[in-house]
Formats: sequence, structure tokens, C-alpha cells
Amino acid sequence: MSTDDNGQGPGSGKLSPHDRAQFERRVSELGDKLGKVRAEQAAEDAANRGSATRGRGMSYGIRMASELVAAVIVGGLMGYGLDLLLGSKPWLFLLFFVLGFAAGVLNVMRGYTRLQADISRETGGKIGHSVPDDED
Amino acid sequence: MPDPIHQFEIKRLVPFDLFGLDATFTNSSLFMVLAAGIISGFLIVSMRGRSLVPTRLQSLSEILYEFVANMVRDTMGAGHGAMKYFPLVFTIFIFILTLNMLGMIPGFFTVTSHLAVTAGLALLVFVIVLAVGFAKNGVGFLKLFVPSGVPIYVLPLVVMIEIISFLSRPISHSVRLFANMLAGHITLKVFAGFIIMLLGAGGAYGVLAILPLTMATALTALEFLVAFLQAYVFAMLTCMYLNDALHPGH
Repeated sequence: MSTDDNGQGPGSGKLSPHDRAQFERRVSELGDKLGKVRAEQAAEDAANRGSATRGRGMSYGIRMASELVAAVIVGGLMGYGLDLLLGSKPWLFLLFFVLGFAAGVLNVMRGYTRLQADISRETGGKIGHSVPDDED
Repeated sequence: MPDPIHQFEIKRLVPFDLFGLDATFTNSSLFMVLAAGIISGFLIVSMRGRSLVPTRLQSLSEILYEFVANMVRDTMGAGHGAMKYFPLVFTIFIFILTLNMLGMIPGFFTVTSHLAVTAGLALLVFVIVLAVGFAKNGVGFLKLFVPSGVPIYVLPLVVMIEIISFLSRPISHSVRLFANMLAGHITLKVFAGFIIMLLGAGGAYGVLAILPLTMATALTALEFLVAFLQAYVFAMLTCMYLNDALHPGH
């Protein structure tokens, strides 16, 4: 806040020294109050963002885990089914189980790439948002 | 201790036989009908004014619309081709959201905590993705399973892995929603059961009941978040799968 050194408001010359002191005190008080409110607002925003991020992080975590497990299950079932059809127990089951695991890892990697893209897009937006705030 | 699984019991309300198929109207069906009624009623009533300056209810529907429309545009591109699938995504999102939220009301049945329901929804999406994929791209849809730039000698292996990855989608899609709702409601019930047990034990144990009560309160808040988040994730993944169907070949 730059109110102290160049507080030459419009018509400051017409004010008596007493009024001027009072005016400046009121301005600085207002500045303090405004600063406090802004700090509270920022803290609240940060807290909200924290809990939202935590919730989203949890949902991403569960998503990755379920995708890994689902692919292993599908691979195992496919192998088991083919084994029953072709009578090649247990080789295709073993092969497809491993393939299923690979597919699961692929799912997780794709999900992670997407997560990264989402985050970088969002932080890009956040930086754009905070520019007007930097001016004071 | 009260049985934490009891809340998921299917009750047969109106027995109904459809050509040998058991199509009984159950409490699950009742809550689905209720959800559909609430959604339709809300949207019809709130949009009745169609005013340029929205009323409170109307702006609520408009927020819902904007939310899902942005989700569709973000994942599938802003073209007209993407918005053609908006009705599907919106229906899925609001249906699951309403069912999840209805489940949060004490004594109400949570439809989405049954795998049959979530698997039905996931398979619906899966079949639509297949149909749209082949209708839009013909045989070109199979490019989804053949990533570009893979050496020919590992291609069969990669194609198998891609096929398994594709087939695993409806499973993870459905199990995620079902498991989240089931686990959340069981946890809530177990902690609520602890309160009753501690109070029932009497004396100094009663004071301890404050601990599970705190936990149950915190879990209820978490469950509301999960109820919304899972509906969002389900709709979001529907968009992503549809995007794959429209533009195969990563």
C-alpha cells in the first residue's frame, strides 16, 4: 500500500492539518482492514482448493487401481476361456494373465498422462487468473 | 450389532413375469423410477419460465447443463459432432448423481451399490462406443488396437494387450462406481453400529461413543463428495470412450 508518502488526494490542499491527519489515519486503517480480509479470503481459497484436490486425487487413485485390476481379470478370464475351448490348460491362462497385467499397466500409464495434461491445463488457467491480483 | 449389509437387500414389491424372465418390480426399480421422476420434474419445472434472466431454479438447471456441456467439449472437442452425444452423457451423469444422492438419505436404497445396475450402465456405454466406432469409421475403428510406430515383430503382442485393455473398460467402469458406493455405505453403517454398541454397553463406554459419532459425521461429508465425484468420473469416462470411438488411432 503506497498511501503514506504520496497521499495527495484530490483537493488535499484545502484540508486543515488536523483533518488531513485524520484522513490519513482513516486511509491506513482501511488499508489494514482490507489487507486482513484479503488474507482471510486467500486462506479460505487455499483450504477449499486443498480439500478439492485431495478428493480428486483419491478418485484418481481408485480409478488407476481399478483399471489395473480389471485388465488383469479380463486377461485371466480370456486365457481361461481359450484354455477351455482349446484344451490347452494351463498355458494360455498364464500367457493372457501376463498380457492382462501389461494391459493394466498400459491403462494406468494412459490415465497418468491424462492426469498430467489436466493439471498443466488447470495451472495454466490459474496463472492467467492471478495476474490482476499482482497489480496491487 | 446391526447388519451393515442389510441395507442392500433387494425386496420384491410387485412380482412380474415377462415371457419367462423375472422382471419383478423391486425396491431398486422403485428408486430408479423415483430418480427419473425427480430429474424430469425438476428440469421441466425449472425451465418452464424460459426467462432470459434466469430464476434461481432455472439457473440451477443451466449450471447443470453448462457443467456437462463443458465436460463434453473438453474431452471430445468443441465441434458439433461432440455435442451430438451430449444428451447421452447428461442423462448418464444426472441419473447416477441423483441415485447416489438419494442413497445418502437415511433409510433410502442405494441403487448404484448393486453391480447389476452399474454393469448395465457400463455395458450400455460399451455397446454404444462399439456401434458409434464402427458406424463412423467402418473397419478403420480397428486402428484403435494398432498403435502407430510399433515394430512388426511385437505388433501381435501389442494388439492383444490393446484388446484386453479395451475389454477391461466396462469392468473398471462399472466396478469403480459400485465398489465406491458399497464400501462407503458399509463403512458408514459400521461406524453408526459402533455408536449403538457403545451406548448399549452403558456407563463409561457411553462417553466413548463420541469417537465413532465424529467419524460417522466426517464420513457422511466424504460420502457426499464421493457420490458427486463418482457420477462425474462415470460421465467423464463415457466422454473419453466416445472420443476414442470418434477418433481411433492415438
